[in-house]
Amino acid sequence: MTLNNLREYVRPDRLDMALSLVKKKGRSARVIGGGIDLVRGSSPEIEMLIDLSHLSLSYVRQTDKGIAIGATTTLTEILEAPAVENYLQGVVVEMLHQVGAPPLRNLASMGGTLASAHPWSDVITLFLVLGAQVTLYDGVKEMVPLSDLYASRVLLSPAIITEVLLPAYAKGTAAAFMKFSRTKFDIAILNCACLVLIQNGNCKRARVTAGGTPRLAAPLPEAAEVLLGRKLNQTSIGEAAEVARETTVVRDDLRASGNYRRELVYAGVKRCLTCVSTQLSGASQ
Amino acid sequence: MNICLTVNGKKQEIDLAPGDTLLHLLRRMGYKGVKKGCESGDCGACAVLLDGRVVNSCLVLAAKADGHCVTTVEGLAGQDKVGELHPVQQAFLEQGAVQCGYCSPGMMIAAVDLLAHNPNPTDQEIKEGISGNLCRCTGYVKQVEAIRIAAEKMRKGTDV
Repeated sequence: MTLNNLREYVRPDRLDMALSLVKKKGRSARVIGGGIDLVRGSSPEIEMLIDLSHLSLSYVRQTDKGIAIGATTTLTEILEAPAVENYLQGVVVEMLHQVGAPPLRNLASMGGTLASAHPWSDVITLFLVLGAQVTLYDGVKEMVPLSDLYASRVLLSPAIITEVLLPAYAKGTAAAFMKFSRTKFDIAILNCACLVLIQNGNCKRARVTAGGTPRLAAPLPEAAEVLLGRKLNQTSIGEAAEVARETTVVRDDLRASGNYRRELVYAGVKRCLTCVSTQLSGASQ
Repeated sequence: MNICLTVNGKKQEIDLAPGDTLLHLLRRMGYKGVKKGCESGDCGACAVLLDGRVVNSCLVLAAKADGHCVTTVEGLAGQDKVGELHPVQQAFLEQGAVQCGYCSPGMMIAAVDLLAHNPNPTDQEIKEGISGNLCRCTGYVKQVEAIRIAAEKMRKGTDV
């Protein structure tokens, strides 16, 4: 057992009760969704676990603003939700199929995945490109962009993630995700995602993100900027991929060298943008 | 702490430490079909059904299973069906999809979850369904065949 000093396991049935326990216990308490990371790691400082499973935060809802996903919803529940199936040509479903294997997806929660902030996370790479919004509860609920959460490194304690919103997009928007790993089950050597909005034949909005570099996913604004105001074709896609290769911050680790990762960024961004281009040209026919 | 857990259809009150994993609890309770492998969620030897979905019991805090239903390989055929086999177990036996047998319980559990949600899977979907289960003896060929045959039998209802 790795939780040697764990004394209490509680399941509050009100969000304010959960938060007051988090505030009272500080770093000796942890909020859990699936709880996977805690079981895998050694955490002698933890004395209390606060399980959110009685807070009715397991849901996937289609709203006028987009798709709202509760924090304790498992990755499988998201994968199987009808609302997610057709969201941006099924890009979320395609990504989730590449996250581990069914036993892991049946346990891992949405909130836990975002709070853990693993650098190789496929979910975070795609959700950053999709402009996901996270609802945090620290006495009041506040919605913040997922990118701000990681950019400012705001500690989740003493706030609790309650919901994630995948925003609705205008017609003409498409997104793609790509993961490079040794096996499908393995974590990513590198992953990347792109989102493009085409209006009147030209690119009006673009986002490009790469993760597992091996740092946490980060946007590549220079690569996205290459596309703005231009047609999405082989030339612009190639140039954007080149800029992505040059601007991504990479380094070596046990999975791959930084140089190899740099080449993967080029290949991944090029393939993602080509996929987006194909989707958009198919949709316009 | 005390939890209430239903294992293979039998509801039980259990006293445990808050940090116990479901794997350790089930083996302590005598369900030795739940195998202890990597204990890090990689091999799938400890797989059980939690409310009908396959999970690695080494990654589940037992306290989290309070009030839920667990099915181990011993309970796949159903409650009070002593000596009977689930169609997936029968197919594994008939196809010789077992070598050392250590991965087999977890593999069959994953297959049962797959077939419950996808009764007519392609070979690719079968491979994806058991992608969380490692077998170090075989090449997965016999297991995929066994699951395909079990799926056919279950669709026809001949062995159910």
